[in-house]
Amino acid sequence: MKQNGYAKGWMLFSPWIITFLVFWFFPLVYSLVISLTDYRLLDPSVDWIGFANYSKLFSDADFISSLKNSFIFVIGTIPFTTAIALALALLLNEKFKGRTFFRAAYFMPSITSMVVIALIFSNLYARGGYLHLLADMIGLAPPANGFLLSENSALASIMAMDIWMASGYYMLLFLGGLQTIPTELYEAATISGASKWHQFRYITLPMLKPVTLFIIVINSIKSFQVFIEIFVMTKGGPLNSTFTGVYFVYENGLRKFDFGYASAAAYVLFAIIAIASVIQFKFLKTEWKA
Amino acid sequence: MKRYLLFIVLIALAITSCGTSNDNKITITWWHFWTDTSIKPIIEEITADFEKKHPGVKVELVDLTWADGHDKIAISFSSGAGPDVVELGSDWIPEFSSTGHLLDISDKTESYRDGFLIWEPGLYENRHYAFPWILGTRVLFINQNLLMRAKYAPDYFPGYWNDLLTACERINSLGEEFYGFGSNSAERHRLYKKFLPFLWSNGGTILSNDGKSCVLDNPENVAALEYYLKLCKTGLTDTQRRLEDAFLDGKIGFVISGDWLLKRIAREKPDFAFNTALIPTPDTNSVISSFAGGEYLCVNSKSAHPDLAFELVKHICSPENQLKFCQQNKTPTPSSVTASTNDDFISQPHFMTFINQLKQSKMPPAHPKWVYIEAELERAIEEALYEVKTPADALKDAITKIDEILSQ
Repeated sequence: MKQNGYAKGWMLFSPWIITFLVFWFFPLVYSLVISLTDYRLLDPSVDWIGFANYSKLFSDADFISSLKNSFIFVIGTIPFTTAIALALALLLNEKFKGRTFFRAAYFMPSITSMVVIALIFSNLYARGGYLHLLADMIGLAPPANGFLLSENSALASIMAMDIWMASGYYMLLFLGGLQTIPTELYEAATISGASKWHQFRYITLPMLKPVTLFIIVINSIKSFQVFIEIFVMTKGGPLNSTFTGVYFVYENGLRKFDFGYASAAAYVLFAIIAIASVIQFKFLKTEWKA
Repeated sequence: MKRYLLFIVLIALAITSCGTSNDNKITITWWHFWTDTSIKPIIEEITADFEKKHPGVKVELVDLTWADGHDKIAISFSSGAGPDVVELGSDWIPEFSSTGHLLDISDKTESYRDGFLIWEPGLYENRHYAFPWILGTRVLFINQNLLMRAKYAPDYFPGYWNDLLTACERINSLGEEFYGFGSNSAERHRLYKKFLPFLWSNGGTILSNDGKSCVLDNPENVAALEYYLKLCKTGLTDTQRRLEDAFLDGKIGFVISGDWLLKRIAREKPDFAFNTALIPTPDTNSVISSFAGGEYLCVNSKSAHPDLAFELVKHICSPENQLKFCQQNKTPTPSSVTASTNDDFISQPHFMTFINQLKQSKMPPAHPKWVYIEAELERAIEEALYEVKTPADALKDAITKIDEILSQ
């Protein structure tokens, strides 16, 4: 009878397990194997070439610059997204009229399709677009052909859009975190005469550490994987200034059909993301314990 | 336990029953991209007509989208499950023909060569692998209001490079909101299509005659790039989509575009005063001035019924069926010479510009490594556009990389 229970359990579970194995686990392992070959999608001849794809990657100037762009993207967006999300959460945690409206409004961008947002921003950033006109009006001397067509501002413009878009979602996570902090802590602090700043510094921030860790790790992974924005807005240009790691994988895999090389690049990215996540965990976790 | 067995048996039945058909007809599959409701009925009509002529044959249509059709075709061919007949974009053919996935149709097409235009993209090592179907080219679109404001006659069109540059400068100086020429920015996989016609019309080439080395820094190419940069300075630089928006808003004097813009104007702004003309050439000696592309039909080399599949290709590409298709789809450029001389057809506004321009159009070399060469070429154009390098240096630097690609 017990055995029967197991069978039932596995059977109910199997749709997920099978999909996971076939569409997730198998491709993951298979792409690792492919990365050691010269497999091209349409070419029937496949040879083992060991780590040749990997060594070629590190002498490929385009790959190095794509990694650099990915790092700029991550380092340039995460502090801002996190700080803005936290600030919004603190504001919207206060009781005031219309609070729900603002919570919903700030969250809205993160449930909107990325392609739609990217298209709208392409228009806002273009020559004659509203953001371009605004920058011109306040004397910022924006690039003549719009923000996305200048190698100096294209990546920064996409980063700014990403911060705008992502902040609302992380705000919601921070709000959740804020609401788990027991109010007694603040009451006790008020009685002991702690100022608002001290309450924030010594109660709110430490209590938010687990949420912050989660947000930074998740956001780093997402930012390393930036793709749709680039695909819709700049296709990696101008002058490769927005050519990021995942876009490199796409170009080599699905444009040039060089699956071996693209898989190797994907695995290098995977390693970088894994290392970055481990470092973040270590760094933020120990500090929390102390 | 019995209940589980029954469950499994039912599922197995459901799975196996999907694939079987109960008649003995031969099925020919055709993968195509014409899913729009305005044109799909014509595709169905053409295949139904084929079935009528070949009793016992069933044509199975599979719709593809431009978003992921290319990937689907590549994956199906690489796994040996490709369709019998497939529609391929002209620039996709070499990667399939060079890897042995397409049927060699050289002998079968011999008698058709003169009746249809532009066979080159289907050539690989002097053998034919693709039948030209619906072609496309780009022409010069002219805003007649801006032309008149710049003191030109409304039916004026620039014939040569210098005329175009002068006209663009005059329109550009009309005011801050007006631009002479709409030039493409660093738009990957599109920029080269805009520049190459200038290179070709100036007598330039990318590869040597034997296709084994790159000659990108020859003086004709450098002069063409220098001219293109001058042209870019007389107007608006943006993405193709936004250039066409600006043209429709009446802000741009000249823009180079394809028949889709004709359709868009008819749909969105039927009263818009515009004209079309051949893209200007440097002087009277040039014969080529535009970039052609198009849809080709190919037979899978692993097809179980290659002869029938080719019959279907011939049927779809027949002058009557091309005419039917092009009339419905408002495409001015069928590959069939007979179709493009039909009086009714060519009397449609601006169609003659496209038909004439197609005769002066070219496609990039059908090279299996083209997508790599294209990337280096675009890098060079971009570097010159953004003034990182001079046109001569940018093109010269690309040679080393392209030669490396060619030698692999």
